[in-house]
Amino acid sequence: SVTKIRSSFTTIKANIQARDSIRTLSILSHPHSLHKVKVGRCCITRQLFNFYVDKVFKHCKTEDSFVNRKISSIANSFLSVKRKLEQCHEQNKCLCGQESDEKFKQILANYEGLNVTSAAIKSLGELDILLDWIEKS
Amino acid sequence: SGELYCSLPNPRNVHFESINMKNVLHWSAPEGTADGVLYKVKYSVYGVGKWIRKPECKNINRTWCDLSSETSDYEEQYYASVKAFLNGMCSDWVETTRFNPLTDTKIDPPMVNVSSTEKSISIILTAPEKWKRSPEEESVSLVQVYPGLQYNVSILKKKTKKRWWFSISNNTLVVPWLEPGTAYCVSAQIYVTTPLLHSGFSKEHCIATLKDK
Amino acid sequence: GDALLPAPQNISILSTNMKHFLTWSPVIVQGETVRYTVEFQGEYEREYANESWIPICECSLITATMCNVTEDISATVAYNLRVRADVGARRSEWGTLKGFFNRITTSLTPPLMKVIADGYHLLVELEDMGPAFQFCVLYWKKGQESRMQQKVVKQVSSVVHLDTMEAGSDYCVKAQAYVEAINRSSSFSQTQCVRVQGGTSMWL
Repeated sequence: SVTKIRSSFTTIKANIQARDSIRTLSILSHPHSLHKVKVGRCCITRQLFNFYVDKVFKHCKTEDSFVNRKISSIANSFLSVKRKLEQCHEQNKCLCGQESDEKFKQILANYEGLNVTSAAIKSLGELDILLDWIEKS
Repeated sequence: SGELYCSLPNPRNVHFESINMKNVLHWSAPEGTADGVLYKVKYSVYGVGKWIRKPECKNINRTWCDLSSETSDYEEQYYASVKAFLNGMCSDWVETTRFNPLTDTKIDPPMVNVSSTEKSISIILTAPEKWKRSPEEESVSLVQVYPGLQYNVSILKKKTKKRWWFSISNNTLVVPWLEPGTAYCVSAQIYVTTPLLHSGFSKEHCIATLKDK
Repeated sequence: GDALLPAPQNISILSTNMKHFLTWSPVIVQGETVRYTVEFQGEYEREYANESWIPICECSLITATMCNVTEDISATVAYNLRVRADVGARRSEWGTLKGFFNRITTSLTPPLMKVIADGYHLLVELEDMGPAFQFCVLYWKKGQESRMQQKVVKQVSSVVHLDTMEAGSDYCVKAQAYVEAINRSSSFSQTQCVRVQGGTSMWL
């Protein structure tokens, strides 16, 4: 699924990132980079997949039918992965800790610091940051 | 900031060209301008609030600027921007799209080292190194940057034109039980599954197995 | 006159080897060209996006009674699909696929395979079934089924090298397709066996 998410995102990356005019803020990489998270990776991944499914995709509708179809593909793939992570969580295999909770709180604060549509488009445009981090492990 | 009146046409096609994470900003001169145009360059780390000028690319007349040093942290993403000047006029700043060194770089083919015995060929592949500031700096192989890096190896028997393919994760391959005194040509390609990247094929390295004693 | 246009019927999905086609029966209107439009809805749209539907522009106002939905059925979740008919200004209700479609139910066929003995070397040529596919190739020396060996082939590039063989023996090979996205495999292909001649005439 991550490979499919990556390929779908690559086709709309330039389009989505061009809609994000705020260069000076980031949801996932500043002030503290997702890449610096070493502990509680599964928990953060699960929280981020929930975050994208619950908060982000629904505010990313565009006037471009092709882009909307790719967003749907990504959103449904996220939902499929989210389900698997929830099973891990229920089997206590995806436990959270203070560092991961702290990190996710900060990501939410970044997100809520912007208006909903800007925050959603920015988050969608940062999917490669999330995927780079996931694929690094 | 004392900027000049900016009615000069903009630089065009401002983009990064990256090979093995040597990240060079390129652009084309503004339309309709002959010689004499000068440029200056700035860059920014995505998510950080300031643009940084590149002194070595101030008032330059070439249409490229090496930003490898400034963009060497591949866990960050970047923007760069160019402004043109001519006869007291200037253009607007023109930005790149967001540049992600990890996914937007191109990878060179691996180096191929081939040796042979009477009936076998041994192949050693070396992935390119990530760009580094100076020869003294510690080398980082792209294998360390892309943990999923693998190699596709093609072996062609010149006499029969038959070609075989191997996919390997480590960088050595020994092909036994070949015909003595016969020429084989080897070529290799790097491919990474996530993110999806692949190099071109190396040029062919031909070698003959030793003759039967 | 302007009787209501009937909705398309017999809507179904043909799904083989991760290629998915929506088909339906034609709506017959004498002397008129009927055109059809297809939309899809993933589980995400149902549960998180107000049950919204997404148009497939390649299947908008088409005359065919089939639509390739492979590109849009791109996650392993339950999808809804629907079709409506248009004739001039007249438009039918939506006809909806009965039940959901999940690509996990796609039918997988064994790969076409050609086994080659080239000197002492055992090789296999596999059908390119698309980016979603990998192959599990099993090979063994005839009579030594218990010492079967396995090779996973992720990238299909013409002739793939399996192993070297002992002179004068028979070797057998069979392969199955595997789709990681749905974690399912096809049945195995027919077993093919080849003989390795002895002597020097058989160098690669």
